[in-house]
Amino acid sequence: RMEASCLELALEGERLCKAGDCRAGVSFFEAAVQVGTEDLRTLSAIYSQLGNAYFYLHEYAKALEYHHHDLTLARTIGDLLGEAKASGNLGNTLKVLGNFEEAIVCCQRHLDISRELNDKVGEARALYNLGNVYHSKGKNVANAGTHDPGELPDDVKNALQKAAKYYEENLSIVTELGDRAAQGRAFGNLGNTHYLLGNFRSAVLAHEQRLLIAKEFGDRSAERRAYSNLGNAYIFLGEFETAAEYYRRTLQLARQLKDRAVEAQACYSLGNTYTLLQDYEKAIDYHLKHLVIAQELHDKIGEGRACWSLGNAYTALGNHDQAIHFAERHLEISREVGDRSGELTARLNLSDLQMVLGLSYSTNNSMMAESQAVENSLNGGRPRGRRYSMENMELMKLTPEKVPNWN
Amino acid sequence: SQPLAGGQAAELQSKVVPSKQILHSDNMEMEPETMETKSVTEYFSKLHMGSLVYSCTSKRKNK
Repeated sequence: RMEASCLELALEGERLCKAGDCRAGVSFFEAAVQVGTEDLRTLSAIYSQLGNAYFYLHEYAKALEYHHHDLTLARTIGDLLGEAKASGNLGNTLKVLGNFEEAIVCCQRHLDISRELNDKVGEARALYNLGNVYHSKGKNVANAGTHDPGELPDDVKNALQKAAKYYEENLSIVTELGDRAAQGRAFGNLGNTHYLLGNFRSAVLAHEQRLLIAKEFGDRSAERRAYSNLGNAYIFLGEFETAAEYYRRTLQLARQLKDRAVEAQACYSLGNTYTLLQDYEKAIDYHLKHLVIAQELHDKIGEGRACWSLGNAYTALGNHDQAIHFAERHLEISREVGDRSGELTARLNLSDLQMVLGLSYSTNNSMMAESQAVENSLNGGRPRGRRYSMENMELMKLTPEKVPNWN
Repeated sequence: SQPLAGGQAAELQSKVVPSKQILHSDNMEMEPETMETKSVTEYFSKLHMGSLVYSCTSKRKNK
C-alpha cells in the first residue's frame, strides 16, 4: 500500500517536471521521499530528479544534497551507470557553486565509468561537462584580476586550454554519433573559450558553426547567442561594422523572443560599438534605449552603466550640459549601489566637465563641490590638471573587469 | 582662459574616445548545461514489463 503511494507520488513529480513545473514536481518528490520505499533504485531516481529540479530552480545547495544522496545510494547498490550519472550531476552542481577541484574529480569519475562501460554517449557528455568546469574555473580566476581576453596568467590559460581540449574531444565523439544538438553546444562553448584565450579568429569559426546548427534546428535562442558571441569576437578583431551587424541581429531576435534583458544587453553592445565607430549620435540612441529598459527592469547597475556611457558620448559631442546630467546620475547611482570605483569614475568625469565649463558651476552645486573635496583628498590634495597622460591608467585600474581593452 | 578650456575639451574628447574607457559587461553567452537523468517511469516499466505482459496474456487466455 505504502509502496504504491511512494511510486504514485514520484510518477506525478516526474510528470510535473517534464511539463516544466519543477516547483510542483519538487513537492511531489519530497512527499514521495517522506513516504519512503524499500526499492533503492526507485529512491535513487527520485533523489536524482530532486537534485535536477533544484538545479533548474537555482537552489544549488539542495541540488548538491540530493545528488550526493543519489551517489551514495548508487554506490551502495553497485549501480555503476547510476554512479556515473550521479557523479556527473554532482560535478555540474559543484561547478556552479565554484568548487572546481571537487567538480573535476566528479566529472572525471563520470568519464572513467562511461569509458569502462563503453558508453560513448556518456563519455561525450562527461567530456562536455569537464570542458564546462575548466572553462568556469578559468573564467573565475580571470575575473579576480584585471586583464583583457588574450592577456592571461598561466593558471587561467592552462584551465582554458584544458577546456578547449575537452570540448574538441567531445566534438569528435558527437560528430561520430551524428548528434547535431550536442555539436552545437560544444561549438558555442569552444568559441567562448577561444574568445577568452584571445583566439578571436578561432572563436568566429566555432560560433559560425554554432549558428549554422542553431538555424538547422530553428533554435532562435541559440541563434541569438551565436550572433551576440560573434559580435563580441569581431569587436576584438577590430571589425566594428561587422560586430554592429551581428549585434543588430541579436537585438532583432531579442525583440522577437520578447526578452527585455537581452534586448537591453544588445542595445548596450550597440551603443559601445557605435562609440568605437565614433558615431556618437547612434551610440546615444542605443544607450538611451538601454537606459529605458534598465529602469523598467529596476536594474540599477545597468542604469549606472548607461549613464556613464551617455555621459561619455555627450562629452564627445561637446554637449556638456547633458554630459553633466548623466555624470551626476552615474554618481548618484554608484553611491546607491555602493559601487566605489563607479563613484570615483563619476567624480573624475564631473570634475573634468567642471573644468571645461569653468569654475562658476561648482560654486552653486554642492555635489560638485563635494566631489572636488573628495577628489582632492583621494589624490593627496595635489594640484589640478594632474590626471592627463599616465594617470589615466590609474582610472582604468580602478574599474576592474568593467573596462577591458576593446582593441 | 577660453583657449585653455578649449584645449582641455580636446583633451577630454581624446580620453573618451579610446576604446579603453568603454564599460564592458561580461555578456558572453554560454550554452546550457546537460544533466544526467534517471526516471522512475523507465525503471518501473522495465521492472514490471514481464509481469504486465504475463497478466495481459493470461487475461486473454482466460477470455
